[in-house]
Amino acid sequence: MKTRPITKAFLLALALFCASELVVRVFFARNMSGRFEYGYNSTSGFEEKSDGTVRLVRAGGRRFHPQSFTRQRPDGVFRVMVIGDSVPRGGSLASSYAVQVGEQLNKLGVKAESFNLAVAGYGARRNQVVLQQALKYQPSLVILHVNNSNEYEDEREWRRAQEFQSWHPKNWLMKSLVLRRVHEMKTEKVFWEWLPPEIRNQRAVNDADAEVLASMDKNKIREWDELVRRKTAENIELARKAGAKVVLVTQARLERPPGGGAELNDYGLDELVEPLLGADVLRVSMKKVFASPGAAAVFADSAHLRPEGHKLLAAAIVEALRGQSKQ
Amino acid sequence: MSFTSWQYALFLPAVVLLYWRLPLRGRMGLLLAASYIFYGAWDARFLALLLTSTAIDFFCGLAIAGERHSALKVFAVASLPVAWLAGYPALQRLVPQLTAAPLDGAILGAAAAFPVVFTALYAALWRWPEARQRKAFLLLSILTNLGVLGFFKYFNFFGKSALALCAQLGFDPGWTLPHIILPVAISFYTFQSIAYAVDIYRGQAQPARDVLTFAAYLSFFPQLIAGPIERPNDLLPQFIKAATWEIADFHRGLRLILVGLFKKIFVGDNCALLANYAFDPKTELNAPWAVLGVVAFAFQIYGDFSGYTDIARGSARLLGIHLNWNFKFPYFARGPSEFWQRWHITLSAWFRDYVYIPLGGNRHGAARTLFNLWLTMLLAGLWHGASWIFVLWSAYHGALLILYRLVPGLNWLAESAEGPRWRVPLGMTLMFAFTLVGWAIFRCPNLAQLGAWFAAFGHWNNVGAVNWLKPTLWLLLHAAPLLLLQWLTWKSRDEIEFTHLPWAARGFIYTVLFLGIATSAATDVEFIYFQF
Repeated sequence: MKTRPITKAFLLALALFCASELVVRVFFARNMSGRFEYGYNSTSGFEEKSDGTVRLVRAGGRRFHPQSFTRQRPDGVFRVMVIGDSVPRGGSLASSYAVQVGEQLNKLGVKAESFNLAVAGYGARRNQVVLQQALKYQPSLVILHVNNSNEYEDEREWRRAQEFQSWHPKNWLMKSLVLRRVHEMKTEKVFWEWLPPEIRNQRAVNDADAEVLASMDKNKIREWDELVRRKTAENIELARKAGAKVVLVTQARLERPPGGGAELNDYGLDELVEPLLGADVLRVSMKKVFASPGAAAVFADSAHLRPEGHKLLAAAIVEALRGQSKQ
Repeated sequence: MSFTSWQYALFLPAVVLLYWRLPLRGRMGLLLAASYIFYGAWDARFLALLLTSTAIDFFCGLAIAGERHSALKVFAVASLPVAWLAGYPALQRLVPQLTAAPLDGAILGAAAAFPVVFTALYAALWRWPEARQRKAFLLLSILTNLGVLGFFKYFNFFGKSALALCAQLGFDPGWTLPHIILPVAISFYTFQSIAYAVDIYRGQAQPARDVLTFAAYLSFFPQLIAGPIERPNDLLPQFIKAATWEIADFHRGLRLILVGLFKKIFVGDNCALLANYAFDPKTELNAPWAVLGVVAFAFQIYGDFSGYTDIARGSARLLGIHLNWNFKFPYFARGPSEFWQRWHITLSAWFRDYVYIPLGGNRHGAARTLFNLWLTMLLAGLWHGASWIFVLWSAYHGALLILYRLVPGLNWLAESAEGPRWRVPLGMTLMFAFTLVGWAIFRCPNLAQLGAWFAAFGHWNNVGAVNWLKPTLWLLLHAAPLLLLQWLTWKSRDEIEFTHLPWAARGFIYTVLFLGIATSAATDVEFIYFQF
């Protein structure tokens, strides 16, 4: 029997691969756009429509709560945008303090609209990328949720974003979106979840563990705090230039000492942002807002808030804004 | 250059494309150049050693066959190593990526003396009585090969052992041992050289008539670094007669490479994560982790080495050259004898033909047979590495061979062709368990670690040990596809052959294998057998 130069089996494998690549590139183009930049792509998740609206979508690895707003801020509307990590993002859009701020301002007679642009796991560097895009939509107020516990994740994702980026022959396979996605899935759902850090550390590349270890290092923490301070200062400057006011919400974490009870720790964030405050930059400290004895009840865990907590925080922000406007 | 590197992914197609466009002599030249580039990518200085081996075995092979060459020609060929070393600094300036370590004066001196000494010895041996000439050249070939291997591989081991013994006896000889680097592939090409000389002496093979063909044969890049260890009669004729292009060879070559990459990158490298952790002296082991670690290592070493062999055979097949089997479902063996007929087959056959049979094989009674078996295994273990751990590993396998011969129940499990059906899975399981103990010995860096591994079986709930359930899933994820692949290919008795399956199933398998490789290719892990 004569052997064909190209077998049917090979053609099938090739067709399967090409077809899946094509499907991904054509039908999932929006979802895949910027996906492998892990939050460092400025437009990921922002979908500008031809009717002049902007939709916030879960795309490109950026999981925004779905929302939409006009590209141009309507006249006389006070537009609020909240940028931060999983704490401001909240369990649901409606219960998040971002939306609550808008609602409470409306109750006070201010024509306001507020949007939640927070994404879980985002640290100072990636928040800045989001802010740069958000400022294009003329916010009147930017609420920056300042936290210092996501810097290792920012660093890891930065490295992942850099990986396979060049056109070096060793990266050629990973130029395929299908292969890159399967590789990503295997890394996140299997490698990170099934193997303990002791084993994962053998492959420091593409892994958070080196950074997790580094997060236990005091020098590294100091470096990251400095990074948070510097990026926050840059963000304030960016907002100023865009004509937006800024509220800095400083994160506090709930700790339960061995002796019992609960106490809040701001890990030096209140002090860190102190020099950045000014006439157009306010601070709302979670440590102060939740200083009352029963505050532990509003925390869902050590960092995240229950809906009641979001409500309280929104009230504190509105109060701070009112205080400022009286001055 | 590693088979899993991007460089090889460009290098091989370039060689294959050029190869089929050239006439026979051109092909030999291309293969030689490609092989030397391939080898030189690790450490080009050691090409001098390969050239030395080439010079000795080429002229000894011809001399054993009764063919004499002029002293001038011998001197010229034997001068190639020193010429290479002398030109190395100039080459280094041209190619800065080459190893920058300075050349030792003693090495340069030895290389300079080699052509003089070898030519003199060559001429002197021709003056011996005719009846003894062939044997003398055979011995010259074997002793120089073993001498080179012994010096580079075992000098430090025996030197350190002697110093340790002296220290035990309270005596300090005041020696300082030089640091000797083990050249990659030396264990493989010296064995191939010995096989070449012995087979010519036995009249089982014809020598290569020109040095280019022989040099290309000895350094053939797909099998140079880690085998298969080829016999002259199998490989040399394929270098002498020009291969013809066959599309079936091309298909098989690609299949071999695909399966080989899958075994190495998907199975071997991922199982290595668990094995490396379990056999790390800092790891707190418990019984589940001791088992998990050794099973992971069993799949790692199999995926790694048989994967290497498949890629080697596939690469050669793309050039129309057929290399021998090295693995045939080794973990399905029912006894140790069968295991060694399925695992690293070319090495087992080498030791059988050049050590076990010359020692007397099974021709001198039961006790001598068992001794021969045990001694052969011991030497095979030492071949793997200069360490007492390998001596222990081989002694263990030697003991296993003897045990299976002496204990009737085990013998029945391993050898019997008749009996209840359960004897087959039972025999395989028992042998796999014995193999695992052997791998634990093989993998442990020292005896203390081996002791810790055995002691772990006394701790089932060690609080210090990390959870083993999810890592077990990781092992299953990477080992089960290999077992499935073996099950699919079992019918054809060929680890990469699924031609009996419908084309759609084959297409699906190729896709899965490719996905497995592509999505695990983030690391660059060296092949285990490169260290031997």
